Amino acid sequence: MNSVDDQLNRLFRAVAQAQPDAVSVAPFGLETRVLAAWRSAQSVETGFWDMTLLVRGLILASLIMAVSFWPALTSSESTSNPFAEYLQLTDSTVPSDEAP
Amino acid sequence: MTDAEVTECLARGREGDEKAILELFHYMYPHVTKLVQANLPHRESAEDLVQQVCIKVMSHLQQFSGKVPFLHWVSRIAVNTCLNQIRHEKRRPEVRVADLSEDEASVVEHLAATPGELDASDHVASKELVDKLLGALRPADRLLMRLMYLEGHQIDEIAGITGWNRSLIKVRAYRARAQLRRRYNLLMKEIS
Repeated sequence: MNSVDDQLNRLFRAVAQAQPDAVSVAPFGLETRVLAAWRSAQSVETGFWDMTLLVRGLILASLIMAVSFWPALTSSESTSNPFAEYLQLTDSTVPSDEAP
Repeated sequence: MTDAEVTECLARGREGDEKAILELFHYMYPHVTKLVQANLPHRESAEDLVQQVCIKVMSHLQQFSGKVPFLHWVSRIAVNTCLNQIRHEKRRPEVRVADLSEDEASVVEHLAATPGELDASDHVASKELVDKLLGALRPADRLLMRLMYLEGHQIDEIAGITGWNRSLIKVRAYRARAQLRRRYNLLMKEIS
């Protein structure tokens, strides 16, 4: 009796010889469907780039806003303390009370 | 189609040239068909699965980086699509002699009795027998056995097609072959 490995090898060889040739012509309609898939993928890609452009634009706009508001924010820092603001107010009002 | 021609087609395709996309499709179609036919799940028709793979390839064409040859990339998509389909199927039971047709049983007897190659008339029965034997294996093992023994690919080629590394292929091949041997042995014992 032949060994199992030898029998399996012969079995595989017989099947390998009988393997069908690959079909080289695509069926009717597949070309169109494949192109449609590619086109929709392209439009998704374009949409994606539109989104990234929008995001980039938003980031740039917020940067410009931050830069333009920066001086205003820093100048108001000195009066951000309510107690200091109160003192400043009383200092400025006292002399005006004593004047007459 | 050479690698340079494929690269050129891809570049033209990225610029929106549909003719280039069609050239790529006709280039990969026979390759995809062959792979799908070899790894076809039982309930799926080859045409549907080939279409699924081709559409998947074209939808993800922008993701192809060019690090591996185009056909290898296509093969991996085809293999993964087939494996995913096969995974949905239930594991098939062990092959018993009762499941074999008369011709398939006579192929087993012939292989055991004579040292020569099988006749061409036995090829259909042999194919069905191999399908039954491989059908009881895990999907990845089944694919590997087909690539290795029925299509005659070397380990490096299989690595390119599947994306698995060499040692994984060797371990998987060893285990799958051992399982096949065990199943075939059981069949032989039942017959004798």
